[in-house]
Amino acid sequence: MRILLVEDDSELGPGIARALRAEHFAVDLVADGIDAAHLGETEAYDAAVLDLGLAGKDGITVLKEWRAAGRTLPVLILTARDGWSDKVMGFKAGADDYLVKPFRLEELVMRLRALVRRAAGHAQPVLACGRLSFDTQIGHFELDGLPLKLTAFEWRVLSALMLRREAVIERLDLLERVYEGDADVDSNSLEVIVGRLRRKIGAEMIETVRGRGYRLTCP
Amino acid sequence: MLLLSAIAILAALGIAGWAIGGVLERVVTEGIDRRLDAEIALLASVVDRDGTVDRAALAQRAGVLEAGRGWRWRIETPAGAIGSADVPLGREGPHPPGPGREDARGPEAIDGDDARGHGVHARRLVMGRVTLFAAAPRAVIARPLRDALVPLLAALAILAALLAAATWVQLRLGLRPLDRMRAQVAAIRAGTASRIDEDQPVELRGLAAELNALAADREAALATARQSAANLAHALKTPVATLALALRDDPAKAAQVDRIDATIRHHLSRARAGTVDVRASTPLAPAVADLVQAIGRLHAARGLAIDTDVADVTAAMDAQDLDELLGNLLDNAARHAATGVRVSAQPQADARWFDLVVADDGPGIPAAERERVTQPGVRLDERGEGHGFGLAIVRELADLHGGRLTLAERPGGGLAARVTLPARHQIAPGS
Repeated sequence: MRILLVEDDSELGPGIARALRAEHFAVDLVADGIDAAHLGETEAYDAAVLDLGLAGKDGITVLKEWRAAGRTLPVLILTARDGWSDKVMGFKAGADDYLVKPFRLEELVMRLRALVRRAAGHAQPVLACGRLSFDTQIGHFELDGLPLKLTAFEWRVLSALMLRREAVIERLDLLERVYEGDADVDSNSLEVIVGRLRRKIGAEMIETVRGRGYRLTCP
Repeated sequence: MLLLSAIAILAALGIAGWAIGGVLERVVTEGIDRRLDAEIALLASVVDRDGTVDRAALAQRAGVLEAGRGWRWRIETPAGAIGSADVPLGREGPHPPGPGREDARGPEAIDGDDARGHGVHARRLVMGRVTLFAAAPRAVIARPLRDALVPLLAALAILAALLAAATWVQLRLGLRPLDRMRAQVAAIRAGTASRIDEDQPVELRGLAAELNALAADREAALATARQSAANLAHALKTPVATLALALRDDPAKAAQVDRIDATIRHHLSRARAGTVDVRASTPLAPAVADLVQAIGRLHAARGLAIDTDVADVTAAMDAQDLDELLGNLLDNAARHAATGVRVSAQPQADARWFDLVVADDGPGIPAAERERVTQPGVRLDERGEGHGFGLAIVRELADLHGGRLTLAERPGGGLAARVTLPARHQIAPGS
């Protein structure tokens, strides 16, 4: 899952990014409202974590611009402003969730995962596909009921496939969700990751769709 | 103040009475003196310088002299005296000889008592070797004086009473605007007013203006203090968030960070509940709709049903306070609800108030705990985030606006939180 993290504090921003990456998220961190508006409009993200008090452009304005540009990505506002009037303003601008600083990291992660899951159209937190099951709330995969160990990149690819199980994900979409904006992507890396996943869960589960991308098939 | 005025009035009128009495006495005495001097002139006309009395002339004019009881006259000559013996002679007694005694000054007054002790007022003229006396009883002065003074004093006493009454009425009327002003200042302190009326009697306008300036200064100081507290709390939140993140794996330190956070939230919420703007008004239904949207998204994972039945009421509160009150009520309800929350609002029969009820079908609050749960920092459950300030904030805000929060059991199970709040009376269209 790829997250756009908009936070202008020079300590907190990197701190959150580190913590989210430890939970297998791919994180693009920006500290400026103008950059945030641009990135949100042009890049594909599974969700955004948006601070409100930003330099360049206020968080609410950024959010309104995203929505006006037709971007439907789920947005979680993470801010020090804790009045209910502020929350109302945030939701009216198009936010999907609102978390007040200081916050518990588990809370942020859980809510992000829930947002992504709901945006993908899944009402239940646990998704199943054959022998594979994915608890979206805690972010764990299980194969035949046993925990499945994955690297961060493998996790990102598999979760992207799982959220759209039985549907084709374009190669480019997958690349965008798996790699952070400034990553140096080797054109072969995706194939390598998919190969490793097939070895772990069974080659029949991931189908290659020629010229397009991949699909997770559930027997 | 009234006592002082009464004393001053009595003293002034007493002095006036005494002064008038003195003047009257002099006037009456002068009148008598003129008569006595006329008698002396008469006596002088029948005497020549060396003391010979023309008895025939005297007898002829005697009728004029016998004016009334107690009136008397006397002529003293070297040869003897004619007339009444009972005349106060003055210090010197019969006239001393000598050229030094001139009569150029005219008659002089002598007062004394007669043989029977009655007061006598006499005039004496020394002409060479003859001394002339004319005298009248003191009563002749005293009586008109008394006749005049009694009504005068009575009039003065009535005047004193009237003045005292007028002073009392003036004080009462004069102090009434001050009493009104006192009530207005009390209203400012209670937070139900922000200024006193400057339409005052002209003597009080300066005071009213100064009091309003004082109230404005105080409000500005309060607002600054509140803003400082809010700014401080906000400024701390991000660094505390950084700390919370960094220390999340150390339970003892994480607990300390939690304490810091709780303190910040507490002071922020106190800073938020400030003075009331008596002119504020916010339509209720749109505010509820916005909050329902927010709560719906915040608790989206729970799949709760939120119903609203809100009458067309305008709250006499500013939008921020109303949002804070509704937000805390709805959030508390959503957190505990099993399947849904219902928000309803109706005006009371007394159109100055309306009732807002937020009900949930959760576990409810036992009657014994309902009082305690609106104390800040108390939480009956450990579920979800939040620090137990929600219902306390609702109660504080309701009280601040002159309303109240009541917690009750919802019929069918759960909690029904009822808040009575002031309504902004609207002019009905077409009336």
